[in-house]
Amino acid sequence: MKKTLRLIKRFLLLVIIIIPVLFALNLALFVTFTWRERSGNGGWEAARELGRELITDDDGNLHLSQTGEQILTEYHAWGILVEDGTGDVIWHSGNLPEEIPLHYSAAEISWYTRGYIEDYPTTAGARGDDLVILGHPKDAYWKLMWNTFDYYAIAEMPKLLLSFLGMNGTLIFLLYMILATRILRSVKPVVEGMEALPAEAVYIRERGFLAEVAAAVNRVSEKLRAQERALRKKENARAGWISGVSHDIRTPLSMVMGYAAELEEDAALPEEARKKARVIRLQSQKMKNLVGDLNLASKLEYQMQPVKKETLNLTALLRQAAADFMNLDPEGRYPVSFRCDEKAKKCTLQGDRGLLLRAVYNVLNNSQLHNPQGCSISIQLQAESQTAQIRIEDDGVGISEEQLKNLTDTPHYLMGSGSGLQRHGLGLLIVRQIAAVHGGQVRIGHGSSGGFLVEIILDLSDSVSDIRI
Amino acid sequence: MEYDYLKQKKILLVDDEAQLRDMVVSILTQEGYTRVRTAGSVQEALEAAEEWKPEFAVLDVMLPDGDGFALLEKLRKMADIPVLFLTARGEDEDKFRGFGLGADDYVVKPFLPKELLFRIAAVLRRSYKEETTGVRLAACEIDFARAEVLRGEQRLPLTAKEFELLSVLYRNAGRIVTIDGLCEAAWGDNPYGYENSLMAHIRRIREKIEENPSKPVSLLTVKGLGYKLVLRQ
Repeated sequence: MKKTLRLIKRFLLLVIIIIPVLFALNLALFVTFTWRERSGNGGWEAARELGRELITDDDGNLHLSQTGEQILTEYHAWGILVEDGTGDVIWHSGNLPEEIPLHYSAAEISWYTRGYIEDYPTTAGARGDDLVILGHPKDAYWKLMWNTFDYYAIAEMPKLLLSFLGMNGTLIFLLYMILATRILRSVKPVVEGMEALPAEAVYIRERGFLAEVAAAVNRVSEKLRAQERALRKKENARAGWISGVSHDIRTPLSMVMGYAAELEEDAALPEEARKKARVIRLQSQKMKNLVGDLNLASKLEYQMQPVKKETLNLTALLRQAAADFMNLDPEGRYPVSFRCDEKAKKCTLQGDRGLLLRAVYNVLNNSQLHNPQGCSISIQLQAESQTAQIRIEDDGVGISEEQLKNLTDTPHYLMGSGSGLQRHGLGLLIVRQIAAVHGGQVRIGHGSSGGFLVEIILDLSDSVSDIRI
Repeated sequence: MEYDYLKQKKILLVDDEAQLRDMVVSILTQEGYTRVRTAGSVQEALEAAEEWKPEFAVLDVMLPDGDGFALLEKLRKMADIPVLFLTARGEDEDKFRGFGLGADDYVVKPFLPKELLFRIAAVLRRSYKEETTGVRLAACEIDFARAEVLRGEQRLPLTAKEFELLSVLYRNAGRIVTIDGLCEAAWGDNPYGYENSLMAHIRRIREKIEENPSKPVSLLTVKGLGYKLVLRQ
């Protein structure tokens, strides 16, 4: 909006500059054109010259010289010479129209020299005491008959001109301001609407001279919202579908898992059969994790998972995750150790308890999944002033450089082909998503003993630094 | 078994899936629970509750004629019995978190039989703790009703804190209870910073219940994480 206002201001300035420039340009043109005319002197000079070119010969007769003839031709004029005292025409050119009188009284002379003789505009010049009158073609000149100006009016002229200029300028400015305000009033909602368009639904009143633009913006807004709704609906449908499938799988899987576990424990069965039951039980547990992960991943992806943040003690949370994990491992094949320094013990953050537990649990589960022979896992918590670093590493088979590269570079599972699912599971993706929800990040790599290492770095800055003793 | 009497409790199992009911019944009976009844709908459940007066209910959330939450409310109006939910929706975890609904615990399907049995046992122990007597450990017996440790002819009284700690450990017998969980049980909502006190209390408990307190066999330390109470099988 500010930009638009600036644009209009600049436009106004331009108009204000243009007015004096136009004025100056006109003046220059006027001067240029009239200069040439002025040099002709309206035939007055010509009349005097004609007088000089009238030559009295030895007989006392008057003759026009060659130059005089040229002057008459040049001006398409006729000429007469009126004698002083008598008022008689003592010489006239050959082309004198018939209607021109050949005698003039003093009154007639004063009148005719000021204006016209029979509509022929005249110029006059003296030849000694006699008077030369040059009669120009009727359409050659317009003569100002009463050309008298009083000095007062002339002295006031600059003031008068300035005030004219000022009034004109003010009028133009006022008109412009009114117009600009009106334009601005029409443009403002449209511009504001267009600026808000990407973020929210927009409706602009369709009136004023920009009504059509407003209508177009409204249509675009409507269309955008419709597309957004459609997309959201699609995402909801997808997440809903995944949620539905995961729900429907859970009950049958309960039975697979339950009965397999029972068979595994059944001492009456042969060892071989119990081993097979164990495989079924383990695989169904993997399916359980996959189903849960798929559901959560899609919800996090489509922002349908509500995140309920509360003040959490990270140490307690990590211990809980480790204990839950070990409680489901009665054989103790995956011992988890936990270490943290005194500072980290008091480390709290704003987070969703369920999600963070899930993230840690997923990392632990991942170690279990890739190390069927068993492995020890260590969790280490380090707290800096702004971040907390959770290091979870196992002493199992670890990961090859190539796999690590794949895991780091593979595009999003929802975008990609999903080929990474089998090996890496959704588990680590969820860890990433959960870390992201908490403004953190995840690094994976090699542990100090060659096993798999996951580092979750969480941002503590928006957390209440709540040290409770 | 030391909590045999808990296995005499009447358990009502409500789930619309007949085969799942069968499986859970089989799991429960194998574990030694002898009085189990099933229902496939809210209606059936209410009738059974009316007539049979169960002492514990395992409810599915999704039922053909209503949901488990509404059923819970109705059951609670009849009698204040402990309830454990079985749910097939991971989303429901949110609802249960904090147990605002009054359920005692929940298990998300699919579940391992051991997990379900553990949860049921834990809820039963907690709900009927006044009847909990004579929990047998390797070197002694704990009488929770009287807050005493019985070692041969000797009766050692438990302090309030020791009693709280042992109760939590007993309810989660065989499982790790975190340091924070124990501190919370003994010192309430603001449990941080009590770790050293906890260690002192654990040491005193061991002096009362262990044959050799420096080599514990009943109250085990899980380094860095917490403690675990092992019952005598």
